[in-house]
Amino acid sequence: MTQPMNFSRRGFLVSGTALAALGAFSGSAFSQSEKVFRLGALNSITGIGGPYGPYMLEAIKIAVAEVNDAGGAAGRKFQLFAEDDQTKPEAAVLAVKKLIEINKVEAVVGIWPSSVGLATMPITNEANLITMNTCGAPEMLTENKKGLAWMFQASNAIFGSAFAEVARQRGFKRPAVMAFNNSTFVGQANHFKESWEAKGGKVSAFVIYEPNQSSYRTELSRVLATKPDVISLSAYRPDATIILKEWCQSGQDCKFIMPGWTANEDLVKALGKEATEGIISISNVAASQSPAYKRFAAAFKKVANREPDIFAAQSYDMVITLALAIEATGASADVLAINGKIPSITSGNGQAVTSFTEGRDALRNGKPVNYNGASSRLDFGKHGETVPDFGVFDIQDGNLVLKETIPGHTPA
Amino acid sequence: MEGYLIAIFISILIYLLLAGGLALQYGFTGLVNFGHVGFFAIGSYTSALLALKGVPIPISLAAATALAALSAYPLGMIALRLGGDYLAIVTLGFSEAVRMMLQTEEWLTRGMHGLPGIPRLFAGWVEPQKTDLLILILLVVVCVGVFFLIHHIIKSPFGRVIEAIRDNEVAVRALGKNPAQFKTRSLMLGAGIAGLAGGLQAHYLTFISPEQYVPLITFYIWIALVLGGVGSLRGVVMGTVLLVGFLEGSRFIRDVIGGVSEVQMASLRIWVIGVALICVILYRPQGLFGSSPKRSR
Repeated sequence: MTQPMNFSRRGFLVSGTALAALGAFSGSAFSQSEKVFRLGALNSITGIGGPYGPYMLEAIKIAVAEVNDAGGAAGRKFQLFAEDDQTKPEAAVLAVKKLIEINKVEAVVGIWPSSVGLATMPITNEANLITMNTCGAPEMLTENKKGLAWMFQASNAIFGSAFAEVARQRGFKRPAVMAFNNSTFVGQANHFKESWEAKGGKVSAFVIYEPNQSSYRTELSRVLATKPDVISLSAYRPDATIILKEWCQSGQDCKFIMPGWTANEDLVKALGKEATEGIISISNVAASQSPAYKRFAAAFKKVANREPDIFAAQSYDMVITLALAIEATGASADVLAINGKIPSITSGNGQAVTSFTEGRDALRNGKPVNYNGASSRLDFGKHGETVPDFGVFDIQDGNLVLKETIPGHTPA
Repeated sequence: MEGYLIAIFISILIYLLLAGGLALQYGFTGLVNFGHVGFFAIGSYTSALLALKGVPIPISLAAATALAALSAYPLGMIALRLGGDYLAIVTLGFSEAVRMMLQTEEWLTRGMHGLPGIPRLFAGWVEPQKTDLLILILLVVVCVGVFFLIHHIIKSPFGRVIEAIRDNEVAVRALGKNPAQFKTRSLMLGAGIAGLAGGLQAHYLTFISPEQYVPLITFYIWIALVLGGVGSLRGVVMGTVLLVGFLEGSRFIRDVIGGVSEVQMASLRIWVIGVALICVILYRPQGLFGSSPKRSR
């Protein structure tokens, strides 16, 4: 202990050499080939994103296999490098640096939380990387300065106002808002309130709750005390399960509007048909109807043994979209050229296609295409955001039944 | 490659600063601080908010250090009169209270939306690719400075008193010293160092949100301390390098071994740390690089 500083220097040196050796070794394990497209998957495998990240990665693998089995995009096969961001910005920064510097990826897909999206965007922008994410924070649009980021999930502004629209159309008078405390859901809740009050209504209660509790009775009774006729519940499955159970026990009558990634068959499985009867579930419209979704869902069920959620479907679409953009630009194109093609292959008057091979064949015949994905129609706005149509489902006897479709629009 | 190595070293050095602060509090004073991340968070937000208002970064960093240290003062006044275990609970509660405050005081912290666009250290000094290297150099300088300071504090009369408090508080009191005062100072010093680490991290990441300041960070630092050895600076350094090096290095284990999915690796990582921790406690309770405890029996 007499010379602590000496040792720390030596410590850095030793570990530095070790890490450098490891890095060099892993670098040699993957030989560079001009025929591949190096694709990074940055998923929230652990942390709050844990219920979704592993399935997103699974979906990405399915899409990669689909493209590679078809001979690659413009002849380039995807080589996948996956990393866990632990749903934490600082871990994500390291992971994305590893993907860029060691694996030399050209695009990063599957980013789930806005915190990771915002923390990694300066790095990916600097390296000129295409990124595809499911982030809903409005800052994603303003920080997307180079136009390289693509938001596959509707922003929470669009979601929130869609919820309010549905509540109004169904004739509810006293909506209450309950939301999980994170950037996406708080945003959703705020936009619900704004959009509801803009047309001259009042929200009976507005409660943001802290995650990871074993009971939400306090929060729930605050909401129920105001006697709402409907609760807009922005939640994930674990907390939604507890809240709905406690609501059932309270015996009070009221309806729920929830996002589709929470209010689905899994929730019915967890709570039973009785407690979930009549829940209004809102998700991107293409979800259960489109051929792209049906094909993807079948492949997904084989590996994961369950129905894919919306984030998995979006992750699948990320890879297919990217593959079609590569196909449209040609084998020798650089990342910026590929990026420039993304809007034109997902919208416009081209031939509507729902799979990679279909799109590829059309492109090879010189026809423009419009990819309609497994998660939505995928029409991107000028900041890289999707504006999907929403499907309004009722849970009836344990099944999701499509009631109507409402167009999503960006609130002013 | 270099960019990634630099990022890893930056990460190690930030953790090292945190560990240094905790070593002073626990390793040398015997204060069981389970809320270290709270001071880290205060530092991050103070520096980030000031810099976003246009305050030059050096001043905002100094303010971060000062505010983190000051926030430890009332905590010390209340808690240090309590025994060790009570302090653990109070500090844990403190760090959670800080996080809750960051989440709910939206007018100040933007709540869960986090703070994007925090000015980066050395932005505009050199081309963007080089700023990381400058940040690394700054962190090395800061770490060397802080550890030099801690080393001197320990060797000073003040250091002898805090070590004596750790080993036998009653004896210190019998000698006419007021342990609470020394403990408060030690707590404030460690908190200040954590605040500085927080400020530096905010200006490196350029985005912070309350989710980053969960108790897990505190316990990572505890793991580093326990692994390396609590009562020695050398142990602190090695423990931190081993832990962060392993957390990051394990990404490559998967590339080398193959057949392990990212999902399995995530669990395996935690599992290995747990096993290592148990082994250290069973076979080398003083830590890998720690000296035998001097505690009186």
